[in-house]
Amino acid sequence: MPPGAFAKVHSVEAKGEIRQRLLEMGFIRGTRIRVERLAPMGDPMELVIRGTHLSLRKEESACILVVPEA
Amino acid sequence: MVTVALAGNPNCGKTTLFNALTGSRHHVGNWPGVTVERRSGEFLQDGLEIEVVDLPGTYSLAAKSEDERITAQYLASPEPDLILNVLDASNLERNLYLSTLLLELGKPLAFALNMADDAARLGMTLDIPTLATLLGGPVVRTVGSRGEGVEELKSVLAALAQGQELRRPIHVGYGEDIEGELRKLEGDIRRDEQLVRRIPPRWLAIQLLEGSAQAAALVAESHAQTAVQAQAEASRAFLERHLGDDCPTLLAERRYGFAHGLVKEVLRAPKVVPRGATDRLDSVLTHRWLGIPIFVLVMVAVYSLTFVLGKYPQDWIALGFSWIHDRLGALLPPGEVASLVVDGIIPGVGAVVVFVPVIMLLMGCIAFLEDTGYMARAAFIMDRLMHLMGLHGKSFIPLVMGTGCNVPAVQATRTIESRSDRFITILVAPLVSCSARLQVYILIAGTFFRPLAAALAVLAMHFLGFALAMLAGRILRSTLFRGPEAPFVMELPPYRLPVLKSTLIHMWEKGSVFLSRAGTTILAGATLIWFLSHYPGIGNRAWAQELRTQEADILAQKLPPRQEMAALESAQLRHQSRIVNSSLAARAGQRIQPLLSPILDPDHSRPEAWKDVVALSAGFVAKEIVVSTMAVIHQAPAGGSAPGEGLSPLQRALRDQSGLTPLTALAFMVFTLIYTPCLGTVSMMRKELGSWGWSLFGVAYGLGLAWVMAWITVLAGRVLGFS
Repeated sequence: MPPGAFAKVHSVEAKGEIRQRLLEMGFIRGTRIRVERLAPMGDPMELVIRGTHLSLRKEESACILVVPEA
Repeated sequence: MVTVALAGNPNCGKTTLFNALTGSRHHVGNWPGVTVERRSGEFLQDGLEIEVVDLPGTYSLAAKSEDERITAQYLASPEPDLILNVLDASNLERNLYLSTLLLELGKPLAFALNMADDAARLGMTLDIPTLATLLGGPVVRTVGSRGEGVEELKSVLAALAQGQELRRPIHVGYGEDIEGELRKLEGDIRRDEQLVRRIPPRWLAIQLLEGSAQAAALVAESHAQTAVQAQAEASRAFLERHLGDDCPTLLAERRYGFAHGLVKEVLRAPKVVPRGATDRLDSVLTHRWLGIPIFVLVMVAVYSLTFVLGKYPQDWIALGFSWIHDRLGALLPPGEVASLVVDGIIPGVGAVVVFVPVIMLLMGCIAFLEDTGYMARAAFIMDRLMHLMGLHGKSFIPLVMGTGCNVPAVQATRTIESRSDRFITILVAPLVSCSARLQVYILIAGTFFRPLAAALAVLAMHFLGFALAMLAGRILRSTLFRGPEAPFVMELPPYRLPVLKSTLIHMWEKGSVFLSRAGTTILAGATLIWFLSHYPGIGNRAWAQELRTQEADILAQKLPPRQEMAALESAQLRHQSRIVNSSLAARAGQRIQPLLSPILDPDHSRPEAWKDVVALSAGFVAKEIVVSTMAVIHQAPAGGSAPGEGLSPLQRALRDQSGLTPLTALAFMVFTLIYTPCLGTVSMMRKELGSWGWSLFGVAYGLGLAWVMAWITVLAGRVLGFS
């Protein structure tokens, strides 16, 4: 997902602690998210979910399957 | 007395509200067995004494991190009588997720809709009475930073404690299928009455469905264990099959469904909520090209504020202690007791107090960065780099501050949430070369190298320190701290103006906690080292008499004041040197010296190599003491070089008599860089790691690594043809 793009969460493919944490932060099917920007060194990324801005490393965000919005 | 637990998400203004509720009557302690701080305070309302306990900020009670485990355990324990759930009014939906869990705990619950002014500014209006009805407990609108709503909150808490408030137990409805399974599981749990007394059965059932390890451990102690475990497994399997998703997902979905529905009922907000100032600030502060330079500037500012500004009070403290030292020295009759007090205890206390200004200043800066929200951005910017060395973005600031002093650097790791990230950062932080070690480098490099080479050698020590910290971080991550790395799911909260009062309280607490917990260790250690380096010579009456005779002789010569002073000083130095060189430490140094001879004396041509060992062991108290100890051992003042001659008397003594060569001198510097964290750092490590074992591990691996690196220096130097 490029910065500025919107998408809807399809599923969280992570396991264990990361999965639990992502669920708590509201990564649930159908939730709308937006990528805000990448950090200066290209990783992590900042994304917006339910009005909260979060920082996620690429390896973590790669676990979140999304459906891009047109 | 009634106890209220304060629970809420990170960044919801909980601590500010805590300060507003309790005024300045705080106790800071630790939660049992862990290094997470426990803050509590009291207030009096309607004749009722109410204790408030500030819990760590958490997003849930899933007990993944230390913070969450403490929060979950404490809230479920009988200790808190009621729970105050602090909510960020401008981010209600996410904040209510935690509330859905708190509702299950079966305790009276009140809600503070905090930072209500922010919400209003964003154009949000909240229907508080409806929210109170839907949550089944009183809701108070508060602005913690200005104390708004605090009085009302106090009286609501008092009323709730006395059972005078509306209270209607509310649960999240998880839907027919899940509720059915929960009821079955609850039924099995109810068979064990003891278990029921320890934890609300429905709450335990929910945690079991979620697969919580803590809940499973609790059940494992029960006689109903088999039935409950079997039912939990069956329920999980059934729900997964029937509803097509695993239980953690299903439960989280229902909770967010509840929160979303609630927010829809009570919140009137513009369709797109702007983050105005925050968005504008972030587009600069985390900008692709500007982000890093700005971060560097912030670091420079924090560093200067802490260590440049902090130098002044440190100098005043040093002056004050040397004044006390002189006055007491003149007052007390000469002898062992006087020497213990004057040369042992007073400098020891001084060595403790001298850290307080830098600790308070650095903690103040860090609290400021945290409260404004910039700390999260700093971690966001630096995470890529720190991740490479197996650490977290938040490890960067403590490591950089370590170049000033390792003691506050270790304390600054408090901001790192994950235990393994924090432990690794603490263990590698002492490898970062601090300003005290700089004094040793300057002494040695200035003696044995030409100016340019000396500067390069000093610089090389700093780079070596960082490189080793990175390497050690990677190694620790892949050995002792293996296992999944804590997820880097970090909130970037809106920028906020910090509350000055909270920052000042924080600084004060950090300073006083340091004095009470680390201070005693430092004092004891400093006194012990003093003892080892002065006994038995300090008790030698004949030597003391000799010194007095010599002094009398010098005074009788009626020399010009300058010369008289110099003669007196050199007599005293000779006396001290005699004591130290015959002390227990010196004897031990001679014993230990063979261990270090591959580094300091590779040709076995230095009869004085043991003196380095004594200086290094004295440096355990504080690295700069290496210099003053060398001055005493070599009988040559460290300061005051004669005009025209570049080297100080100590440097000349080192060059001409010590037998150190440029190569062994470099090895000595490398050893000084790494060999052990100083006493202050070790005490702080002990406080922050909560374990002597890990702190001693920090010392031991430092010694081992120092030996290896210094040895490599000697070997490599030889191969390259240096001596």
